[in-house]
Amino acid sequence: MNIAIRMLTITTIILWIVILFFSVTAVYSVMNVGINIGEVQMLPSSKGIIFSLPFSIDNNGYYELADLNLTTRVTDPDGTVLDLTETFVPSIPQGTNVNASHTIPIDLDTIMSMDHVPLLLNDSSFNVEIFAGLNFARTVPVQLSANITMPWGAPFAHFSVGSISVSPYNSTHSEAAIPVSFENHAILDITGTLKLEFYNNSDEPIASGMTAISVPSQQSYADRLLVYTRLHDISKLTGSGNIHMIFENPMFTVEWWEPYG
Amino acid sequence: MAELDSNFVTKTVLPRVLKAAVWGTFTFVMVYYLPLMLIPKDIPQNILPFDYTARLLDFAVISVFFAVVGQLFSGTVIGCGFGIAKALVIIALFFVISEGGVFSITLPISEVTVNLTLDISTILLMIISVNLLSIAKNLFEAISILNEASNRIDLT
Repeated sequence: MNIAIRMLTITTIILWIVILFFSVTAVYSVMNVGINIGEVQMLPSSKGIIFSLPFSIDNNGYYELADLNLTTRVTDPDGTVLDLTETFVPSIPQGTNVNASHTIPIDLDTIMSMDHVPLLLNDSSFNVEIFAGLNFARTVPVQLSANITMPWGAPFAHFSVGSISVSPYNSTHSEAAIPVSFENHAILDITGTLKLEFYNNSDEPIASGMTAISVPSQQSYADRLLVYTRLHDISKLTGSGNIHMIFENPMFTVEWWEPYG
Repeated sequence: MAELDSNFVTKTVLPRVLKAAVWGTFTFVMVYYLPLMLIPKDIPQNILPFDYTARLLDFAVISVFFAVVGQLFSGTVIGCGFGIAKALVIIALFFVISEGGVFSITLPISEVTVNLTLDISTILLMIISVNLLSIAKNLFEAISILNEASNRIDLT
């Protein structure tokens, strides 16, 4: 009995020392972990743009940092997931420095599709959810989460179509002038071709035209787009209808409907 | 009778009180003063899930109390009872302080609210295991004391 009691006493003392040693060294290790976050870089890509967040972790502590996981989820105001990106660093051993970068590719073709027309025409904000997790000394899992609201500038903000004026062009065609204006609130310049197909209130095609536009970021655009149509087609023009707008550039194509009249 | 009481006080009570005082002081230094010196002073209070100085003092008070009564009643069944009580109180204290092993802190950093979750359930499990061992040790000790006492009974 006495031997068992003595062994239990020794075991208890040893385990308390282990717990105390681990606790103290863990606190010191956490204090000696250096996390440096660089500036966000915006890089062009074939499908749009890539936001890159470089970071480095300098582990000067006594324990390994394992399973570092950084996940970002970008959602629009309706909660639709626009992007889900994960960066994983399997292990940062003690005394080492790890450089990594978290890249968020923004596929403009997806964002500027018909499903997200309101994002083209109205300023909005994206919700960026950040989740980070790591396993300290493979014993203490740590998780971190944050929500950031990122403003989104619409490339065709305040898009408006003025009243269409028709004038004879020659003996067979008429010229229709369509005043178009918008503001480019996006971070990118808008350069491409803007195609218009306008329809009367019975959805009959009246005319179509195309123009090249180049609107730098944070600049306004206002111009009269000229389209030519046969005389018998212009007779179908009604006071109101719809214009099918198609904007194309090498990176993406967007289209939407705009009422006139 | 007075001589017997005087002998009991000088040979049994006084050494135990002195030993208990020394153990109480030593425990206070080990569990309160030393950790307070070791913990870096520049830790911002808002990143800690609890007021660590107040909790450390709670732990120190409990440890000193049980160290003192443990020494005063050492070698007795009451002492073993206090040992078991100490282990149970420490398990409960750590369970309450660590919120069941998972700390959740909300840190307002400029305009962003960061939620930090720290899972120390492994460490909590280690502390519970050590205290369970301590309970086992005290039970064995109590059984041993009772066994010795029963063997001393003179049946003649």
